Amino acid sequence: MTSLKRSLGSDPLSSSISSKVFVRSTKSGKVQKIVRELYLRQDIPCSSKLCTACLATAPRDAAGVLAPFVLSAKPAGTKAYPNGHYLLPDTNALLNALDLFESTSAFYDVIILQTVLEELRNRSLPLYNRLIGLTKSAEKRFYVFFNEFRLETYVHREQGETINDRNDRAVRRAGKWYDEHLSQAVKAAGGNKKSVPTVVMLSDDKENLKKAKRDGVAACGLKDYVSMLENAEQLLDMIAVVKEGREIRDARAQESLYAEYYSVSKMMTGVKNGTLHQGIFNVSPYNYLEGSINVPAFDKNLLVLGRESINRAVQGDVVVVEVLPKDQWKEPSTKIIEEEALNKNENADAEDGEAVVTERERKALQEEVKKVHSKSSEGRPQPTARVVGVVKRNWRQYVGHVDESSVSQSVKESRKQQTVFLIPMDKRIPKIRVRTRQAGEIIGKRVLVTIDSWDRDSRYPIGHFVRSLGELETKGAETEALLLEYDVQYRPFPKAVLDCLPTEGHDWKVPVSTDDPGWKDRRDLRGLQICSIDPIGCQDIDDALHARPLPNGNFEVGVHIADVSHFVKPNNAMDAEASIRGTTVYLVDKRIDMLPMLLGTDLCSLKPYVERYAFSAIWEITPDAEIVKSDFTKSVIKSREAFSYEQAQIRVDDASQQDELTTAMRTLLILSKKFKQKRMDAGALSLSSPEVRVETESETSDPIDIKTKKHLDTMSLVEEFMLLANTSVAAKIYSAFPQTAMLRRHGAPPKTNFEELANQLKVKKGLELRTSSSKELADSLDACVDPQEPFFNTLVRIMATRCMMSAEYFCSGTQAYPEFRHYGLASEIYTHFTSPIRRYADLVAHRQLAAAIDYEPLDASVRSKGKLESVCKNINVRHRNAQQAGRASIEYYVGQALKGRIVEEEGFVMKVFSNGFVVFVPRFGIESLIRLRDLAETEPESTFDAEDYVLRTSGSREVEVELFEKVVVRISDIKEEGTGKRKVRLELVKTGGK
Amino acid sequence: MPLDTSTYSLALLRLDGRRWNELRRLNAQISTQAAADGSSYLEMGNTKVICTVTGPAELKSTGGARAGGDKADVRVEISIAGFSGVDRKKRGRNDKRVSEMQTTISNAFAQSLFTNLYPHSSISLSLHILSQDGSLLAACLNACTLALIDAGVPMRDYICACTAGSTSSYSSNDEQADPLLDLNGIEEQELPFLTVGTLGNSDKVSVLVMETRVQVGRLEGMLAVGVDGCKQVREILDQVVRKRGVKILEGSQL
Repeated sequence: MTSLKRSLGSDPLSSSISSKVFVRSTKSGKVQKIVRELYLRQDIPCSSKLCTACLATAPRDAAGVLAPFVLSAKPAGTKAYPNGHYLLPDTNALLNALDLFESTSAFYDVIILQTVLEELRNRSLPLYNRLIGLTKSAEKRFYVFFNEFRLETYVHREQGETINDRNDRAVRRAGKWYDEHLSQAVKAAGGNKKSVPTVVMLSDDKENLKKAKRDGVAACGLKDYVSMLENAEQLLDMIAVVKEGREIRDARAQESLYAEYYSVSKMMTGVKNGTLHQGIFNVSPYNYLEGSINVPAFDKNLLVLGRESINRAVQGDVVVVEVLPKDQWKEPSTKIIEEEALNKNENADAEDGEAVVTERERKALQEEVKKVHSKSSEGRPQPTARVVGVVKRNWRQYVGHVDESSVSQSVKESRKQQTVFLIPMDKRIPKIRVRTRQAGEIIGKRVLVTIDSWDRDSRYPIGHFVRSLGELETKGAETEALLLEYDVQYRPFPKAVLDCLPTEGHDWKVPVSTDDPGWKDRRDLRGLQICSIDPIGCQDIDDALHARPLPNGNFEVGVHIADVSHFVKPNNAMDAEASIRGTTVYLVDKRIDMLPMLLGTDLCSLKPYVERYAFSAIWEITPDAEIVKSDFTKSVIKSREAFSYEQAQIRVDDASQQDELTTAMRTLLILSKKFKQKRMDAGALSLSSPEVRVETESETSDPIDIKTKKHLDTMSLVEEFMLLANTSVAAKIYSAFPQTAMLRRHGAPPKTNFEELANQLKVKKGLELRTSSSKELADSLDACVDPQEPFFNTLVRIMATRCMMSAEYFCSGTQAYPEFRHYGLASEIYTHFTSPIRRYADLVAHRQLAAAIDYEPLDASVRSKGKLESVCKNINVRHRNAQQAGRASIEYYVGQALKGRIVEEEGFVMKVFSNGFVVFVPRFGIESLIRLRDLAETEPESTFDAEDYVLRTSGSREVEVELFEKVVVRISDIKEEGTGKRKVRLELVKTGGK
Repeated sequence: MPLDTSTYSLALLRLDGRRWNELRRLNAQISTQAAADGSSYLEMGNTKVICTVTGPAELKSTGGARAGGDKADVRVEISIAGFSGVDRKKRGRNDKRVSEMQTTISNAFAQSLFTNLYPHSSISLSLHILSQDGSLLAACLNACTLALIDAGVPMRDYICACTAGSTSSYSSNDEQADPLLDLNGIEEQELPFLTVGTLGNSDKVSVLVMETRVQVGRLEGMLAVGVDGCKQVREILDQVVRKRGVKILEGSQL
């Protein structure tokens, strides 16, 4: 008999083999023991340019390419480290102050250990991703050293040693090794001892620092290190205050203000067996103490009322809630509660006697409760809940300004550190407590902050200051604030992206010879009378049209779209950047492009009089607007003219113009009207949103006037044909790629969304809103007219639009065919195809269509469902953010245009609360709140009839405000204390119109 | 959760500290079970396999078309121990994956063995998987080769197998993807890979299995690395066999 011997002992290499054993628990609660091999080696380079020994053994990839060494030979020094130094941060240092490492003034030549990287990834994925980004940027010189795989730096976890202690030891060991290795390297190169850079371990952990000193590793606390730097004061603020703050509080042993969160396992089991619910926490824009959560178990949103129930949840967090007993269910509040109005005079520093709910807040809520209880017809109480845990924080960087009243006068000038309140621009985010030394400097500026933590014993979250954007109300700062707030990528395109552009630059032309590869499978449409119609001043012309009669009496109509996919090839840097940006963002004075200017406004743009590549959809259409056949092809076109909507309208209306281009436009106009009628018959909705245009002075782009947008026939002409192109393309790519077509859907809104509006219309106007189908809704919206008030219909449409779901991009394999429906357009299938210059979805559709007509093979990235899904997810978010940013920009400029002016205008009441109402002014497209206390010096007494939507006041001023009523308001501007925005302020002049 | 395969590009190191062209530790012994006609035990990293051979023996099952064959029948049976993976999982008798592996192995050896020397007989290979950590099929093939040598079944040459993969997944479409040799379990879950088996020192591919999607452009590199790996594997197996041969000649193990 032979016995099996343990093979490990006989292996000569066994000292270099280790294994990593750990236990993990899965989501479903299973415990798994994982065993992994580790191969320890000695050819992992130190990556210092001082070292030649490592260079010889450095690894090469399969192509034999050597990665360049990163750490500079002459790193920067400080007073304490005159020979220069490499930084070696531990995990806590990165967790607390990644912002510091991103700053450009210091923190170069940093060694990131694998141990630290792994730990960071476990603690915070976003921070990990930011760090990976840093290691990729060449100028910051960050090097990831895989210490766990190097024989000399690998450490075994000892019996009874915690994993944190083991990791700290690994960091110190690596520091020590680096130290010895570098001095050897310098000696080998014949340098003197002076030129050996010190490896400085950065840590916030006192114990770790102490041990480092004992082991002879140069180490420094993060704070101490930063104070040695030149611009220490600015940098110091970027360190998260978490630690210190906690220590102070622990000393006081203060009682906790908020209830403790449940443990993760308790939450998970609760959610699983249905006693707890998980959802995204949303704060009401009118009442910061009221949040709502949509959970599958209830059709109505769960309300979360009051600070204690909200329990430190912040807008957007994924939370777990517990439903409260039925006797605590309430109606959604009818009152406006704003944070700054209630807690204006709080002291940011004060910590004693801080209660979760201030007296005034309690009073405000109390009145609410009273009102609900006093009413005989209890109405429709909604289930309420309280937050018991947060699954995922959705904290990001917030833009805001420092609450001036929280800064103490005496230290305004001095450099003493103090705590101030930062009021975020987004009203749904609570005030953030920030410790800073620059209080005096950042007053009156737009600043960027991050939330670090929110402990049970603190009423407000604690954060730290990242950077200042500039003075409040300056164009630069406000625009940047807007872009940051809506997460728009606005930095200039990196070089890697610009390298993807054609080398000819602006001189690029369609090749003359039709034998050129660029002409392959392209139809020559240069002979057609093609023109484009766009808004005035449009530079990125996506689309152009043509029409001509055919001998059989039908028409040939063509929609030609810029062939962006010819220039932006999949998977290069430009494509990656465009897919991240997702869309071009239009602000009043600025356009943030998705693609570099050269493409967007020149090479792709279908400019007149020059030849351009295009992607054409060509139909044969009968005079009754029936499609006989459709055809898609890549082509070369030459646009004859670029019209603005106005010019085109004038030309069409002018009977004396009989040239080919004008008759073609007339044909298109006639056909488009027929198409529109067909769509309307099918139940397409014509919705409305308040649209205004800010006229700016051409030189300074200062706003001078605000105009409501006029609607012209030529606009719907273009729109109809774009819809036609989009729908036909959608059908085509879906038939070619049933699983992976990039489509756009608009879900039917749930009935409950319209309940409120339908009830309001019924009570106030006796009108009925039927919502069972889009056709029904369209018809009943048409019937919502007030003969005395032509604007009433538009008002109802605006309000109905807000009840809708938002349309979204999706990948066809993720939904069933009936779900593809576009509710608003009443189309079975829809996609975006017509604006590839400014939308990434269109670019994907272009690639798919090109593959569907066998023009080119389909790239793998637009064939993989998982990849497409992540693209869709991103562009949906970007699209929404871009819209909001655009609106916010208009809002800002409207405020600026009205600056210093006082105007009286007509408006309509859109919403009535028990202590105020919302008025919409169509002339400026603004909507603003008028609170009772704005009506007169002393706040008038009021009674609110929620059934009839009437608010009556008595006492200091007597008015009666009801829903949908026409009112006259005085518009002036005011700098809003809360958000630091200049905003219009409305005052009620009289009710009942002029 | 430690790092995943996406960090490869940071330092050209894989999850377990290997470079792109390195095999895991490969250990093997033959004649581990005296009762069998031939046996072997093989470890490729943490994948551990025992193989026993019975035969060539007279065909037992009569009836059907197989009975009258003029070649020996190679039968393979794989049993995967419940404790071999991370989760304790019981595999049914007709597990598709297992039966596919059985067929692959059986077809491969039907070609490389001189089965025509043993008409009306069968050669049974029985594989027990004790621990799984990637490259399972390759480990099985290598273990079978050793066990068959131990049993003295005449063969044309060794069948040596290993896996080869690519550093980025199918959809990420990375131009600079490196080929990888001998994937472990985690890598197999995240990356595209193939199993390749070659006959002896030649470049003749006798087994090639790929179940994941990969860009065509990367396939050639993967295959080249895989075939090269097979040669390294052959060296190691050959040493094991020679060591055993020396012992037998010395008479210590008869």
